[in-house]
Formats: sequence, structure tokens, C-alpha cells
Amino acid sequence: MAERSIIDQLDDAVSAILAGRESDTAAIDQSVVELVAVAQQLRGLPRDEFKKHLKDTLVRSNEMSSPVMKPEPALPSLSVYLCFNNAAGAIEYYKEAFGAEELMRLAEPGGKIGHAEIKIGEAVILMSDEYPDYGAISPQTLGGSPMKLHLSVLDVDSFVAKAVSLGANLVRPIEDQSYGHRSGQITDPFGYTWIISTHQKDVPVDEMQKQFDDFVQKRATDETPASSKTSYRREGFHTVTPYLTVEQPAMLLEFTRKAFLATELGRTTGSPGGLHAETKIGDSMLMIGGGVGLEQRPTAIHLYVPDVDAAYQRSLEAGATSLFEPADQPYGERSGAVQDPTGNRWYIATPFVPLNEIAEGLRTITLYLHPIGAQGLIDFLRNAFGSEEVMRHQAPDGMILHAKMRIGDSIVELGESRGGSLPMPTAVYMYVEDVDALYERALKAGAVSVLPPTDQPYGDRNAWVKDPFDNIWYLATHLA
Amino acid sequence: MSRGSESEERLLIEAAQKDPGRFAELYEHHFHQVYAYIARRVSDRNEIQDLTAHVFQQALANLGKFKWRGAPFITWLYRIASNALSDQRKRRSREVSSDDLPNGESASEVDLEEIEQRAQLFKAVDALPEDQRRVIIMRFAEEKSIRDIASELERTEGAIKQLQFRGLENLRNRLAEKQAN
Repeated sequence: MAERSIIDQLDDAVSAILAGRESDTAAIDQSVVELVAVAQQLRGLPRDEFKKHLKDTLVRSNEMSSPVMKPEPALPSLSVYLCFNNAAGAIEYYKEAFGAEELMRLAEPGGKIGHAEIKIGEAVILMSDEYPDYGAISPQTLGGSPMKLHLSVLDVDSFVAKAVSLGANLVRPIEDQSYGHRSGQITDPFGYTWIISTHQKDVPVDEMQKQFDDFVQKRATDETPASSKTSYRREGFHTVTPYLTVEQPAMLLEFTRKAFLATELGRTTGSPGGLHAETKIGDSMLMIGGGVGLEQRPTAIHLYVPDVDAAYQRSLEAGATSLFEPADQPYGERSGAVQDPTGNRWYIATPFVPLNEIAEGLRTITLYLHPIGAQGLIDFLRNAFGSEEVMRHQAPDGMILHAKMRIGDSIVELGESRGGSLPMPTAVYMYVEDVDALYERALKAGAVSVLPPTDQPYGDRNAWVKDPFDNIWYLATHLA
Repeated sequence: MSRGSESEERLLIEAAQKDPGRFAELYEHHFHQVYAYIARRVSDRNEIQDLTAHVFQQALANLGKFKWRGAPFITWLYRIASNALSDQRKRRSREVSSDDLPNGESASEVDLEEIEQRAQLFKAVDALPEDQRRVIIMRFAEEKSIRDIASELERTEGAIKQLQFRGLENLRNRLAEKQAN
């Protein structure tokens, strides 16, 4: 049979199928039967424009949904009743920061709120201003509240960033928790503490108990100084802690809080006067100090964060100037860079692989040095501190573009000063097992003594040296 | 489902739960299966479209409640579709005599195999050479006659029938390849 007629036979069958008639398979050439079966299945093939239109409709309905999980029609049987010294202000704050919806308010002529109800996600919160005669007293009057509120949101990072930018304090940084949530804690401007959380995965209770047992065990070990190999360091510190000294340290602390969700751990007076403060970003400590009239040492930091675009955006909102916008880099990370209002440079990056796969010891805050004569600094770090070269990337002419050096349990990065990266000599607080021995070794390697080993009132024995590249190293051993 | 694609799907669902903007990707992955599931029970095109839209709207609204328990996401969508079909059937039973009703809502395993195969076929149409794809879509999705397609595309009727033949042949070969794998 000629092909032409097979083609016609097939079309007769297709026409019958589309018209909803049975096609007469007996009259069809065997070679076409399989094709008729395919045509049968194609009946009702979805239309492209329907598929596209439905997608557009779904996307549009998304854009109108709130950042908190969808409300349920039924009210929960339990709701909290909160007291404020400025309930009207609190309602405004929760509306703007938490996406709350005001359901009702009963107000005195002067605006004082006797009772109001707001809805956040699926929860209704009842509230009033202070009425001491009725036992309604706010956390601001009492000096805090023992009650914490737990709020489930779709994206804890952006939610907290917004709440903080509008005046909340981050009291515990956002972290992936072993029980399957990603969460952090904030205290709102009215004294209430909120645990903000995004559910990531279900973890069975027995698994949670096991993780909790490990935690209790670890805490007990950490609290026993004799068994701790790191007792020469203060808790939470690694070998290397960058020390940023600037003219306006309070401004820098504010910047790190807003831009990088840093948790400030305390402020005191520094040794040369001015301010000394310690803050934590992610898993790393950072020291910040200085003041008007004191020496300034703005510094470059490679900051590894979970979401470079969000951190970059927040840093601009917190007053930084862009050096370059986030982009995927050929060296395995997405990164952007900013200069903060006090002069430090932040190379903000989200690597494509987990940090510890790049190099063990790489943490959120990694010091970045731009010496003139990078090889000389590498030699100094090796001779003075027993530092080990982990990787290097150099130009054909031998110029060191990037190198990673391990010092103790930390990594310091460096690259030859060139183009836009001028030398930024800095200060480093470095915990070591034996400050006296390392001080001697550093001097032999070419450092100059600024302060010989001295017991300090804050519980560290430390010595200060300056390397040939003008960096100051505060070598310290914590006195148990 | 392979382990790799399972974890990929899981990541996609978690991403969409955090950022509903990512739901569009889940939609793209599952559209044809949901459509084929409903088309197996309902023959009217408008009804198929309404029910498909309903399933995805429900899925989007309730995505936050979806918990990964090892079953692929599509089984959750099939359950929504099955409920929608059953609701529609109950509504109908008040309006018309029960003799006109389609049979039970939940699909058997044999059904699911057929549904998956049909969804693969729908997807495979997009991968056809452009001139064959246009003819297949105009013929089967837009339900146009050979004559109308010929005049719209400014080709002879013989050429359109030829493209229809090649298109169906191609689809059969692709399905056979998939099944062989």
C-alpha cells in the first residue's frame, strides 16, 4: 500500500476520534494502528494558552498573600493578652514589621487603648494600654517579660531583617536548629521577646531527644575546664578574631547589627581609652573599638553568609556604599562588596559549596589582608605563628592573587595589594596556648614589640606586636 | 522516582513553602499529570480546565501544610484532584440522575500508569520539531480541521496530513524509548 494512502487512513481515524466516533480499526493498515492509539491518547491535549493563563493566575494570587502563613477561618481557643505602655504604637509596629491586621480597638478620647485585637498569621493577639488598677502592666514598666511568643513564618531571614530594621533587637542569631526549624529571637521595641521560626523538616522526637542528650553532654564537658583543650581561649572565640578600630565604633556596631544581623555581646572601655565591644556574626566573634582621636584601622573582611543578596541589600540600607553588586564569581561563590560608613570593606559571599568543604576553619568572618609583598607576609605568618598555607592562586608573573593561611583553628585570607585594594593594615586578637613563647617567636620572625606579655585585668595575659606590614597582633592566653 | 529527583523535588517544595513565588516551578513539573488525571475521568474540555485550575489553587493555598512523608508530591495533587472529582460528583447527583455519573473517583494502579503515560505524551508534544508541533497542537488541542490548519499555515492539506503523520510517528517512537528505559 502506498504511503499516501496510509497518511489518509490515519487522518480518517484522527477525524473520527476528534468527533467522538469509534474508528474502524479493522479497515486500517497494521502499520498505522499504533499511531491511531497515540492519537486516541492525544484527544483532549491541553491548550498552551490555558496552561499559561492558569500559571499567571496562580502567580498573581501569590503576590497578594502575606508573608505569614495563611490564616484559618476558625479562631484558636487560646490567645495571648499583651499589655503595652503605648498600645497604639505597638499596633503600628506589628502592622508594619509583622504584617499584622487590626481587627478592632476600643479607645479613650485621648487615644489610650482599653482593648484591641490584631491578627498575625492565624493568631489573634488581644492587647491594651497599661491599667495598673486592673493588673495590666507592660514589660517596659516591669523591666522585661518572662513570656516568649513563638511565630511561624515562611522566611525567617527576611522577616527578622525587616523587624530589626524597624527597631527590634536581635537577641539570638538565626540558625538552623537540630529540631528542624530555622529560627532566631528578637525583642520588639515594647519589650516582648519573639522566637521567629521557619519549619524546614520534620524530626522525630526520639531523634530530638538524642540531639538534646548530646547537647547536655557537650555543655557538661565545656563547663569542665580540666578536660577542655581550648581553655586558653575565652568561650566562643577561635584563634583569630579581627579587631576593627574606627573613629565611630558605636556606628559600626549599629551597622553590623542592621546589615549582618550581628548580636552584640557587650561594651566596655578599651585599653587606650575609647570603646571596646564584642559582637557575633554567624559563628564568628568580632571585636570593635576606637573613638575620636584614637588610631583607626579599617579592615577588609570576607563575610560568608547564607544569602549574599539579602545581606548586600541590608548593608546598603544601613548606610554602606557599594563596591560591586552581587554576582556569580568564577572562583566558586556569589559575592558582592560594600564599604561601611566607618571605612571597613566587606566582601560578602555565599559559596556554592559548604564552607568547610572549601577549607576547614573557614567561618562567617574571615580576615582579608592586602599587603604589598604578599609572599613576605606569608613567610612572616609561617615563621612567627607556625601558620600553614592552605591554598594559593597566582598570576603567571607570580603575583599572589589569593591565598588562604591556617593559623590555629582559623583561616586568614590575603591577596597582593593592587588596583582598588589598597593595603589595609589591621589589628588581630589571637588566642594562643603560650603567649610568652609565641611573643619571642614573633620578634625573631621580624615583628616589633609594642607591649611585652602582661596579665590584664580582663582575665587574659597578652602581648602586642607589630609585623613588618604594619598589622598589630594582640597575642593572648586566657587565664582560667 | 530516583533518589536524586526525589531530593530535588523535596528542595523545590521546601523552597515554594518559603517563597510562594517558587510555586510556578512545581506547577510546571506537575501540570500535565494533573491534567491527564482529570482528563481520564472527565471528557468535557471546559470541565477539565476548571478542575485542573481548582487543584492547583487548592495546592497553592495549602502548600504550607504539606509535609514530606516520602510519597512524591504528585500523589498529594492526585488526592486533591480525586476529592475535587468526588465533590463534583456529589453536586451532580443532586442535579441529575445517578445513571449519568462517571464511575468511582480514585484511580487504580493501572489507571495511574495510563495517566503517567498520557502526561508524558502531552509533554513530548513540546519536544517535537516546530512544524510538527504546531500541527499536532492545532489538531488535538485546538481541534481544528485539516482544511483550516492548511489555510492558516498556508500549506497544502496533503502537507498538513504528512506533518500530522510524522508528528504521531515521532511521539510513538519517543514513548517507546521512554518505556524501554
